Amino acid sequence: MKNDCAKWKDQLLESALTKTVATDLQEHLSRCPGCSEELAALCARRERLDALLPFAAQVPELPAGFRTRVMTAVEAASEAERGRHWQLWGLAGAMAVIVATLMIGLTLHRKAIRAVPNTELAAAQKLAEWRAPSDVLLETPGQEILQSTPKFGKTYLKIPVEVPKEK
Amino acid sequence: MDTNVPNALIRAERDVGFGARVTENQRRVFRIAYGILGNSADAEEVAQEVFLRAYRKFASLREAEKFRAWVNRIAFRLALNRQRALRRRLARETAWQAAGMPDAVDGMRNADERIQVEQLRNEIEGLPEKLRRVLQLSLIEDMDATDVGVVLGIPAGTVRSRLHTARKLLLEAMT
Repeated sequence: MKNDCAKWKDQLLESALTKTVATDLQEHLSRCPGCSEELAALCARRERLDALLPFAAQVPELPAGFRTRVMTAVEAASEAERGRHWQLWGLAGAMAVIVATLMIGLTLHRKAIRAVPNTELAAAQKLAEWRAPSDVLLETPGQEILQSTPKFGKTYLKIPVEVPKEK
Repeated sequence: MDTNVPNALIRAERDVGFGARVTENQRRVFRIAYGILGNSADAEEVAQEVFLRAYRKFASLREAEKFRAWVNRIAFRLALNRQRALRRRLARETAWQAAGMPDAVDGMRNADERIQVEQLRNEIEGLPEKLRRVLQLSLIEDMDATDVGVVLGIPAGTVRSRLHTARKLLLEAMT
């Protein structure tokens, strides 16, 4: 391939891969034995590549008993899942029993509170209203006067003053 | 116990259907995993994990095509995850130069061909990852461009274009 044939390099590769030759390249090939040789070599390489690629990608056979192992693992996982399933149901059942017990206990407790006899209620009312006799001793004489606030220049005591008339 | 009978029947029926799907897909799933991991034991573990996951989702994967696409995709992802985990611990192990591989390559005529295959594997390893993945998956015999596209999450046209570029680079590199 000559130096001025370098521009055809990519097209030659494409032609070798696609097994088709574009018109302009065809024209060039008819005049250029170097490029024709290059294309023939590339085609041979492509054939070798196609032949070798399957070997390069060759994978060992699936290990013997693979399917059995998969199905056994699946069965074991399935059993474990069922076990977990029942565990969850058991847990949910236990929670339901606890909640129900709490609800029943609360209801009974509320009922017990409501069931106070009337006599006891009346006694409690009386007790609340009861005042000790000593409460009277705590009252100050003239307390009503002290409860009012006098203005400036006024007195706490309202004593009537008699003014003598002038003759 | 009577209430368990329908469940058991459903399970048995599901297991039969699932077993058939495993038979149809096991080889391809193993190959996808092997293509990335390059190691039989790791590839088998990944393939097993794929089918375990598929079993849990089997109710929504009844259709053969859906199942096939799903296991292909999951096999690829799980194998990549495992490869990343392995890379953290070990030196990179390529899919194309695994121990025991020369024995696994059957049908080659002579030592010269073996060397050429080894060289080709090295060239493939040297490809950009996007191209390498497409090439690896496309070389699995029953994977067409659409299947590969589903696994990689790209259109079939992009798969064809990348495959062409990969082949072109390999052709250029071959002596």
